[in-house]
Amino acid sequence: MPESVISIQHLSKSFGSFQAVKDVSFQVFQGDVFGFLGPNGAGKSTSMRCMLSLINADSGDIRLFGLPIKDHREDILRRTGSIVEKPDFYKYLSAFRNLDIFARISGTNSSKKEIYAMLDFVGLNGREHDKVGGFSHGMKQRLGIAQTLLHNPDLIVLDEPTTGLDPQGIIDIRNLILRLKDEHQKTILLSSHDLSEIEMIANRMVIINKGKSMVEGSVKELMSTENLFIRLEVAPQEKTMIVLKNAFPEIQIQAKGENQLEFHLSRNQVPNISQLLNSHEIAIYSLESKRSLEDYFIKIVQQDAI
Amino acid sequence: MLFKSVYNEFIKIAAKPRSYLGIGAITLLVGVILFALKSDGLSILSFVTSSFEQTLSFEGNLLNGNLIAFIILQMLLVQIPLLVALVTGDLISGEFAMGTIRMVMTKPISRTTLLLSKFIAGAVYTACIIIWLGIMAMIFGRIFFGTGDLIVLNTDGLVILQEHDVLWRYLSGFAVAFLALLTVASLSICLSCFSENSIGPIVATMSIIILFTIIGTLEVSVFDSIRPYLFTTHMASWRNFFEEPLPKTEIIKSVIILVAHILLFLGISIYTFNKKDISA
Repeated sequence: MPESVISIQHLSKSFGSFQAVKDVSFQVFQGDVFGFLGPNGAGKSTSMRCMLSLINADSGDIRLFGLPIKDHREDILRRTGSIVEKPDFYKYLSAFRNLDIFARISGTNSSKKEIYAMLDFVGLNGREHDKVGGFSHGMKQRLGIAQTLLHNPDLIVLDEPTTGLDPQGIIDIRNLILRLKDEHQKTILLSSHDLSEIEMIANRMVIINKGKSMVEGSVKELMSTENLFIRLEVAPQEKTMIVLKNAFPEIQIQAKGENQLEFHLSRNQVPNISQLLNSHEIAIYSLESKRSLEDYFIKIVQQDAI
Repeated sequence: MLFKSVYNEFIKIAAKPRSYLGIGAITLLVGVILFALKSDGLSILSFVTSSFEQTLSFEGNLLNGNLIAFIILQMLLVQIPLLVALVTGDLISGEFAMGTIRMVMTKPISRTTLLLSKFIAGAVYTACIIIWLGIMAMIFGRIFFGTGDLIVLNTDGLVILQEHDVLWRYLSGFAVAFLALLTVASLSICLSCFSENSIGPIVATMSIIILFTIIGTLEVSVFDSIRPYLFTTHMASWRNFFEEPLPKTEIIKSVIILVAHILLFLGISIYTFNKKDISA
């Protein structure tokens, strides 16, 4: 069993009468790229702020590297690099000077050479002495990641690092995160509401909604147990619906357009569809099956709403 | 960590254009006052001394650098709190407004250390303002008006201080004026801990100073008991160094009250900042 790097148990936090986090629990192990998923307003940022001691939790147990944050804040933060919400810098200072300032209070003595190397690592070479006020959002994100790495932390916490980026920016940040995992063996907690991103990067995840953790586990395992989304183009449409309903009474079929049908079906039953429809002399023009975290996520969130 | 954080704060203050407003404003104002006194200073002085001319005869250079420095201090030490608050009121709330507080507070630095480093940097900035004012008032005053004995008009009458007896009074006066301005800096840092925008603490600081000054000057008995303890009552206590004989008890009392206010504001700041949720 790998070492637990983050352990959150029954975390709750209210702001006045609004309960932002009700009962969040999850564990992140060494070497994980851990997806922290939830729709906007689910309580991800609040949980992360509690985790990093930016705000005080009302109740619950928060441990990083096995130590409670409230008693060992500085020891923990010395081993953690983070961006909460978005990377904000001193706009009137250069990228180099910003990193210099953060390095000085990160518990490390980064040399000029190391700061330049870090700026090079995140692709900001040549812009070291430009004021951050003139940087694009993507450049600030990259500078933010440089800032998290200055003191060579064991754990990196990134809060929606690709939000607001253009497609190339998203790819750049994603590749950067994968490099951190593969080349530098960092443990990474990554919050996002972009589900495909988590699917591509993370090995484990938790889904939270309305301040509660809904499900936690390996991304692969959680995905493999799920229904697939099926889109059929068939004729005749009505007969197909009757045949499918008889064969799979639990499914809910939606007719889309003239010949299209959409429904969710258990993964192991998918191979039977074409055989079943052929036996009823139904013409299949296309059969598309999609396994996406998005469907899974929406289902989890909808279950919670019921 | 405190030393490193103080160094960071110096870098931030030095890089902000607003930090130079104070220096620029003092330079400009002193320049204007010097020009005005050079042009029409003698007639102003004779207006003051005319009432004593029947009993006293004045000889030598009365409108000298020492008198000019005194006039400048008297005029400017009322406005300088605003210049100090412009920078110190932004030290904490500015970090909230920019969002950088999130980045700073995810580093292994305690909130108390960060606040103390900001207080120390604010104190050094305040000292720089006072020193610059001193340089402008005393050096340029002497360059343009020469030296001589200092004549000060107090409520009790004229005080004449000999030229060789003036410098130590100025240095001591500047030290007490520094304490008064540090009280303003502490107040604005304290208010800055309650706010997440830069303007609020600056405006609130000036409002409090104006309110306390009004309470201090109103001759209403209901305020008699609190008036001696308001820090604004002691903001002009640098003038005590230009009394003869020196009112030592008054000076010590003023220093104690100013230091007590600084410690009080600093204590409130540390408590508030440590309890504050960083949700900006």
